[in-house]
Amino acid sequence: MKRTLVLIIEPARVVAAGVESLLLRSGECEVVATYRSVAEFEASGERHAQVDVVVASVSQLRAVEGCEQLKDLPVVALQTALVDPESLRGSVATISIYSTAEEILRVLREAHDAPVQHNYAESHDLSERERDVLVLVAKGYTNKEIATELFISPHTVISHRKNIVHKTGIRSVAGLTVYAVLNKLIDSEIL
Amino acid sequence: MCCASQYFDIQMNKINIVDPVSMLSPDMKLFELIDSHPSLLSIFLRLDISLPFGDVSVEEICRREGYPSDLFLMLCAMHLSSTYRPSDELLRVDMLKGVVAYLRASHRYYIGYMLPHVASHLDKVLEHCDMISERALRSFYKDYVGFLATHFEEEERNIFSLIECPEARVSSDFSMLEAPHGDIDDRTNDIASLVFKSLPEQVPTPLRCTMLDHIYMLRDDLRRHSDIEMYLLRPLVAKFKNTK
Repeated sequence: MKRTLVLIIEPARVVAAGVESLLLRSGECEVVATYRSVAEFEASGERHAQVDVVVASVSQLRAVEGCEQLKDLPVVALQTALVDPESLRGSVATISIYSTAEEILRVLREAHDAPVQHNYAESHDLSERERDVLVLVAKGYTNKEIATELFISPHTVISHRKNIVHKTGIRSVAGLTVYAVLNKLIDSEIL
Repeated sequence: MCCASQYFDIQMNKINIVDPVSMLSPDMKLFELIDSHPSLLSIFLRLDISLPFGDVSVEEICRREGYPSDLFLMLCAMHLSSTYRPSDELLRVDMLKGVVAYLRASHRYYIGYMLPHVASHLDKVLEHCDMISERALRSFYKDYVGFLATHFEEEERNIFSLIECPEARVSSDFSMLEAPHGDIDDRTNDIASLVFKSLPEQVPTPLRCTMLDHIYMLRDDLRRHSDIEMYLLRPLVAKFKNTK
């Protein structure tokens, strides 16, 4: 099985070392490099072309978003304290220092397949997975039900829903349902 | 709605921002007020003040209609500027009646005038849509109107009626006044997004633009309406409670 290549950006050395040790022991992941900040990563001049997932401290998420080299990679937020959900923007999932090894590995696997948040300059077309989620939202499924139906975590569903709202500009379920009908993703009988 | 150019005075290649609120006074002639800010005509529609005005001032027309001129100017200012907030010393408890009358009149204005107006433009847009799109959009707009009507009815029953009744006003807690209006804004924005991004290609652009123009006008008006509840009605109710 191909190992997931992880780049860690975490200011606290002991936290970064803990995550790295846990990932290495699993045999599923390989830590490509560890940096204390995005600034340190950029200053290093390293390219790390083979990264699958970035694990970044919540304090570094904004910098990750603005980093040209990391912008197309799925980012998992590494939480060490309670934070405002808005500060997790830009990440596809979250792990915390209290997560078990199994949870962390599952999140990283899912993040590997998760969609990347786009900026306004990019296409607003929905990805295939986002369309799947949209159809189920329009049918009245809850996040938990969508996660079960599509075999993904509720975190990933939330991430897809954020992308859908961002791309369509539509927030209400009723509006998303009409969007799905207008774009021929569902039958109008649902209305 | 006001166009941006009304707020800017372009001279000698410099742009000086003119505060529209500071230009309002009770001595202004009504024609002068409307000529400078045509969007304020809707306030006259809401308050059922009939035209022609003749050569009267704001003060005179307010006296004639039995409406406090300072409150009238506050409402004008709140419609003209999304950042204007009346200061506490300008607020008098006896303004409550006039504010509630205005908010009730605004509800009637939305239900009886603005929403049907948007609906008639939507009808023109839907003439260019296939049956499925037509059905989806018509149903969405109908639900939106129903959602607004229910919200207005609840406000009138749970807030306005209690404010108008002196005994109930003392004992009620008016907690509904604290509720944000984010749902209304989201739903109004959703209509704009659907028109902007998802209407079938065969809908002509001028029709789309006119439709969007009306939706944004409605959205901005609803935002000002919400501001009036938040920054005029709520502090007035609090002031009333403090005096008891």
